[in-house]
Amino acid sequence: MSTFVNTDPSAFHGVWVFCEQRGGELMPTDFELLSEGRKLADDLGVELCGVLLGDNVEGLVPQLGGYGADRVYVCQDPALKDYTTDAYTKVICDIVMDKKPEIFLIGATNIGRDLGPRCAARLHTGLTADCTSLVVDTAKYKEFLKSTSTLDVDGMKWDMEDKGLKMTRPAFCGHLMATIICPRFRPQMSTVRPGVMKCAEFDQAKADACKTELYPVSLCDSDLRTKVLEVVKEAKDTVDLIGAEVIVAVGYGISKDPQVGLDLAQKMADALGGVVGASRAAVDAGWVGADQQVGQTGKTVRPSLYIALGISGAIQHKAGMEDSECIIAVNSNSSAPIFEVADYGICGDLFQVVPEMIDVLTNK
Amino acid sequence: MILSEKHQMMRKLYRQFAQTEFTDELLDRLEETGEFDWDIHKLMAKYGFMGVKIPVEYGGQGGDSLAYALMIEEFARVSPVLSIYANTSNSLGAGPLLFCGTEEQKRKYVEPVAKGEKILVFALTEPGAGTDAGGTLTTAVADGDYFVLNGRKTFISGAPMADYAVVYAKTDPTQRGSRGISMFIVDMKLPGVSCGKPEAKMGIKGYPTSDLILENVRVHKSDLLGPLHKGFATAMKTLDGGRLGMAAQAVGIAQGCLDEAIKYAKERKQFGKPIASFQGISFMIADMATEIEAARQLVYSTAVRKDAGDPEASKLCAMSKLFAGEMCNRVAYKAVQIHGGYGYIKEYKVERFYRDARITTIYEGTSQVQQMVISGNLLK
Repeated sequence: MSTFVNTDPSAFHGVWVFCEQRGGELMPTDFELLSEGRKLADDLGVELCGVLLGDNVEGLVPQLGGYGADRVYVCQDPALKDYTTDAYTKVICDIVMDKKPEIFLIGATNIGRDLGPRCAARLHTGLTADCTSLVVDTAKYKEFLKSTSTLDVDGMKWDMEDKGLKMTRPAFCGHLMATIICPRFRPQMSTVRPGVMKCAEFDQAKADACKTELYPVSLCDSDLRTKVLEVVKEAKDTVDLIGAEVIVAVGYGISKDPQVGLDLAQKMADALGGVVGASRAAVDAGWVGADQQVGQTGKTVRPSLYIALGISGAIQHKAGMEDSECIIAVNSNSSAPIFEVADYGICGDLFQVVPEMIDVLTNK
Repeated sequence: MILSEKHQMMRKLYRQFAQTEFTDELLDRLEETGEFDWDIHKLMAKYGFMGVKIPVEYGGQGGDSLAYALMIEEFARVSPVLSIYANTSNSLGAGPLLFCGTEEQKRKYVEPVAKGEKILVFALTEPGAGTDAGGTLTTAVADGDYFVLNGRKTFISGAPMADYAVVYAKTDPTQRGSRGISMFIVDMKLPGVSCGKPEAKMGIKGYPTSDLILENVRVHKSDLLGPLHKGFATAMKTLDGGRLGMAAQAVGIAQGCLDEAIKYAKERKQFGKPIASFQGISFMIADMATEIEAARQLVYSTAVRKDAGDPEASKLCAMSKLFAGEMCNRVAYKAVQIHGGYGYIKEYKVERFYRDARITTIYEGTSQVQQMVISGNLLK
């Protein structure tokens, strides 16, 4: 253990992805990270490996291969069936110290955000959380800056290591983008926000070619200080606007047929894994409960996606939702103020537009 | 200002009416339910209060602005919310109609309103257009013999019980700001007209205020009020009268507060004597009375000058509302202070006055709007 020297970058090779499973099921972030890791591995000319911990999870390997993994290290043990910080950290640090990857990526799920910092501290290396862009080539990084920032890229001094990982992440609630490098220690670790990286197409040939490498687990009782008593799956029936990633909100524009309007909103919300909100006018009319009201006198929400159906967009409503990352508005009145804050606007009758949107969403 | 015998008689009538008819039981009911009281409305109509300022040929009493101000003041002295019952028809309701309505429109709408048979309200404010009425988004599009109205009005006093509303809508979208706006008389029973939930307000409870929603409402062109595209400029000329009424209301509320403060200061004993005998309290009362009297004289003289066609009337009406509204809040604050802890309890009248007073610097043009009008007049 004490022989692990992490200050010699030349001793580290390969891009690794932590492949999270829950109840024997792989997470979508695994495939996103493998797709992204594939590009990094190709740019570096190295192998892309997955690391899979669990109990009887070997069978999942081809799936991981199909998204780009050349090899998957599998660590199996009944103690690894459910995630615990202690057991996973111990097993991962053992294999990292042994195999020495140069880059180690973890999905920024609840589990990943818990695991990443713990491993980084134990390995004494740098970790960047919640990354939205990862690049190794300095040339590619410059291209990325030119297309996403106002920086004078060509006029800047560049003395960063080529092939070192440039990890870009939003800071201060997304008001600042920071690119962070980890030049002196290895592995370079980052957690990556789910949904940010594009998933590649599943490739059967690669799935067949993926190597499985069983790695022995060494855990003793003193390593395990946490015990999972029970895993509970919460039924998601209660509407909670706060913290919802997607909100489909209805306004007085559904008055032509409130029930149909609400059903449409619910269908759209279901298709996007979101919840239904409302403007005060819709709440006052008695169509929706008061706990679903968005606005100055309702809830202030900041979802990734806010869809406003038949909402005129009075300032009292806008105050509760204008910080949403993306706003889509459907309104039959082209001069409705909601269009001033919408990223995408559709001027039309929501009773015609929304069913078509739902069609597209459910048959994608 | 010395009131004529006629005006003195009127003041006596208004005062007696308020003192006998605005019972504590009625006021408590208004406060608790927030609902409009039709009985007192009918009684006011029977006495002709709904049409005090409306000419006799249109069913009113033909009184002048001073009579109207006296009525609002005396009513507000007992019940600020009931003063609004008699105010709307005399000011913003019938005002625009009398100012620029056709003979036919006056006959059709003003008469029943003056007699208290119908309720007519004023619908200008929108969620995004308060002080800046130029931000009006409600639209009216000509379609044959009709205009099709779409939009949402907010904080419309009396909307839930109204029979008609004077609605402002953009008829010429090419013109910016307050230009290109027209006035319409909208029958509240027309298809497509609905009201929002009555707002829960801090004060003046008992005169429901709600949104007014217009969805493809077809209004006949005979209900276009005044010139097309020039409704707003016309409306501004009628607002003076309403402002004067609100200034009178503020004077009334302040007088009611002073009445209560004096009564309490004489009764309440601390350190072995009535608190009125302490200079701190007695000076407060002196200041309150002085401010009220200054505001009252400003309101009365403005009413007379307005009726006499004084070119300064617009500025004076704004001054009256600005000074009386702010004064009324200072007085209400002191009245509660004089009552001490008891002034914070709903059983004591000043608590309600204090809440009612707050709106007087806000509606019918905030104090800041009045300052804009006054300074605009002075800095031409």
